[in-house]
Amino acid sequence: MASPQAVISGNGDERRTLVVIFLRGAADGLALVPPVTDDHYYRARPRLGIAAKDAVRLDERFGLHPKLQPLEAAWREGELAIVQACGTEDQTRSHFEAQDLMEHGGVVAGGWLGRYLRTRPSESRGALACVAVGKALPECLLGAPTVTVMQSLEDFAIAGRTPAFGTQLERLYAMQRGQLGTAARDTFAALVRIEAMRTTKYRPDNGATYGRDDFSNGLSQLARLIKADVGLEAASIDLPGWDSHFAQQGQVEGLAGKLADGLAALRKDLGARMATTTVVVMTEFGRTVEENSAFGTDHGRGSAMFVLGGGVRGGRVHGEWRGLAPEVLEKRGLLEGYGDLPVLNNYRNVLASVLARQGAGFGAAETASVFPGFEVKPMGIFG
Amino acid sequence: MSVTRRQFLVAGAGAVVVAAGSGCGQVKESTVEVRRWLGKPTAPPLAGALTPPSGTELDEVSHVLNRITLGVRPGDHARVSALGVKAFIEEQLAPQKLEDWMCERVIRHEFDSLADPEGTLLARQGDASDPLQALFPAMKDKGARVSHLYEFKDKVLLEDLTRATVLRAVLSERQLYEVMVQFWTDHFNIDPSKAEAKWLKAADDRDVIRAHALGNFREMLRESAVSPAMLWYLDGRANRRVKPEDKPNENYARELLELHTLGVHGGYTQQDVMEVARCLTGWTVRDKKKFFKGRVEFQAWAHDDGAKRLLGVEIAAGGGARDLDRVLEIVVAHPSTARHVAEKLCRKFIADEPPEAAVAATAAAFARSGGDVPTTLRALFATEEFWRQDGRGKKFKRPFHFVVSALRATNAETDASKALVDYLVRLGHAPFRYSTPDGYPEAASHWQSSLLWRWNFASALANNGIKGTSVESETLRERLGGDEGLMATVLGRRASELERGAYQESGAGLALLLASPAFQHC
Repeated sequence: MASPQAVISGNGDERRTLVVIFLRGAADGLALVPPVTDDHYYRARPRLGIAAKDAVRLDERFGLHPKLQPLEAAWREGELAIVQACGTEDQTRSHFEAQDLMEHGGVVAGGWLGRYLRTRPSESRGALACVAVGKALPECLLGAPTVTVMQSLEDFAIAGRTPAFGTQLERLYAMQRGQLGTAARDTFAALVRIEAMRTTKYRPDNGATYGRDDFSNGLSQLARLIKADVGLEAASIDLPGWDSHFAQQGQVEGLAGKLADGLAALRKDLGARMATTTVVVMTEFGRTVEENSAFGTDHGRGSAMFVLGGGVRGGRVHGEWRGLAPEVLEKRGLLEGYGDLPVLNNYRNVLASVLARQGAGFGAAETASVFPGFEVKPMGIFG
Repeated sequence: MSVTRRQFLVAGAGAVVVAAGSGCGQVKESTVEVRRWLGKPTAPPLAGALTPPSGTELDEVSHVLNRITLGVRPGDHARVSALGVKAFIEEQLAPQKLEDWMCERVIRHEFDSLADPEGTLLARQGDASDPLQALFPAMKDKGARVSHLYEFKDKVLLEDLTRATVLRAVLSERQLYEVMVQFWTDHFNIDPSKAEAKWLKAADDRDVIRAHALGNFREMLRESAVSPAMLWYLDGRANRRVKPEDKPNENYARELLELHTLGVHGGYTQQDVMEVARCLTGWTVRDKKKFFKGRVEFQAWAHDDGAKRLLGVEIAAGGGARDLDRVLEIVVAHPSTARHVAEKLCRKFIADEPPEAAVAATAAAFARSGGDVPTTLRALFATEEFWRQDGRGKKFKRPFHFVVSALRATNAETDASKALVDYLVRLGHAPFRYSTPDGYPEAASHWQSSLLWRWNFASALANNGIKGTSVESETLRERLGGDEGLMATVLGRRASELERGAYQESGAGLALLLASPAFQHC
């Protein structure tokens, strides 16, 4: 038998993990990454615009929402990249349809992350190769070779009322040769490791502290799995509640705070392991450039995406940007007033760049097969 | 939720049974009886001889039960031994003659969405002699038979279809038929998560797969080609050529050749794919924004009516809608199709690496019979390779087979609701959730990484830890004559020394049997 390390990590030396965070409800990219030097922004949002003096200044064009300040360190250290005016070419402004399309990767069956896992070469994929934090399987993972939907590590125990069930099973499977025998031994090895994790109270490394909300808790579970080398290749986790039609200031502040605190804790906790971890933050569409009369914003088009991790060409806002002058905005049918922030950067080109980073054996052809029917032009998010 | 007229009638029938049975005193038995009458999911009664297998290896009966059913129920071995394996195979090849009232009643009771609205009124598929159809020609139209599906929420349809599939697999006496339904569902895979296939897959399941699973391949292929769900799933609906510069959509054409008929190395070229696409231009399905949604139409103005050449055969110009039948005629008659289907069948029923002699014999029967599925299977089951002792118990069950066979082995009562389906999701093998057109794979290598969830399912089932599913393990053990009988019934042979030891020392005998390596195989 090989060393436990080699056995448990299904993809050998390539211990890369991709974590996908979906901000459900259409997050306001113009509040998260405000164009603080664009007068049109403040004209469209006289009451809701994030003032330049409050924002964390990123570059000559953009700032960060003040509640995203915990991400400033990652930005300065070059581990956080942002793409503004991002989204799908589809015009739908239905949350459900847009999330579906984006998670499937277009008008196609099955999820893009599931296709990625099926396309990715893997010698012996472990039981914990893919984890969805939450109660249900997200659409992006439809078709994945194996997925564990979990809310906590408690789910990863071998069942049975007595330990003898596991011991006796191990005896029976020890007689199995070939792939089944290997798979069984891998599973028992992973169980031992997780058992050790479950029975000790988790102490994050490097003094990181996670909040008590579901999102932060989920991230801490993922950090544990990543550090335990159980062969985690992909994970998904949601941060819902972004649909801010009404009095959005407090709503966005609360969610932005959760997002930034959680990500900052994860980064600190993972420490050196951040080098082989990539975190993608995405949302189904953005919100109207112009604020509405109820101190909120309505369904729009482009929003922001974040990519955090080792190897990222961070500290910069990637992709195209044309500002918010009325003539560059996308018309909203017959409606009066401002148009929407157009989608200048297709989300698939961001994801394609991320996938190309996920190790050997994932080239242009594989990336194209993850997004069928779309001519992928990966953005240069990685160096 | 409203009670439909049918449910009301069924409930009325049940009330009569309650009244009739109330004096008998055997409260529990009569409850089960009433549930069965109502069509509520129940476990079938443990009736007849329950003599367990007595060999130390898998005998012919255990082998056949393992391979051509979705799991061996207590008593199956004794029944098939008395009947004879050959007679059992013949019985299973003619499912329409098998009494299956309990399963049918459950499906009718539980699933309004899956009922065929015209099926109860009219003969299926254009019976010209039917006076009702003569009066109402529109009712003949398949479109009218699928549009009602849009009345349901898509999530409800997927849930119903999934539950019905599990319940049929567990309850039906027509086991080989259910195995073949699975086989063709994978062969003509449609992922309902794509667009309007959400509503239409239920019609595909009924009119394509179940209508022809043990019928004729060519007829099934014809139905599949114009199945509204397939037209959505593989973009046939968007395959049109109105102007000469329009490029036909090749998606369906390619999969028709690569997956449904000739197979990837079946000897066709890119030119053939393009020619098939041209032949099928104009076939489309009305979407949900239109009247008669779900209706399949041939739009002559979007059809490329020029001459085509497919696999060396000329298709003359001006064929219009008939081009489709010409294409199917050519591809079904092609020797690669017989070979491709035979190879897949042999992989399913014999081994992941199917032996050449068996493939050749099966392909010959397919070709000779013009794609008659029972004839083809009869030939496969007659091969020496199918019966070989050293091949028995060597195929790794796919997760669906594993779960269903555990439910059948324990005579579990299940409503196939979310808690049970969640195990299938976790095992990566829930029905109708495979995204690409190649369908769930058959080979063991795809299924061996999720052993933990098999073990946990085994344990949860044996300990009654799955909501909506229950097992009376002590009764079962007693009825089967104790530990030895239980072990032999579940394993299909007498337990080995190692298994016997593990069974006793685990303190969780039934769970251990279901989780054991032997039970993962068939």
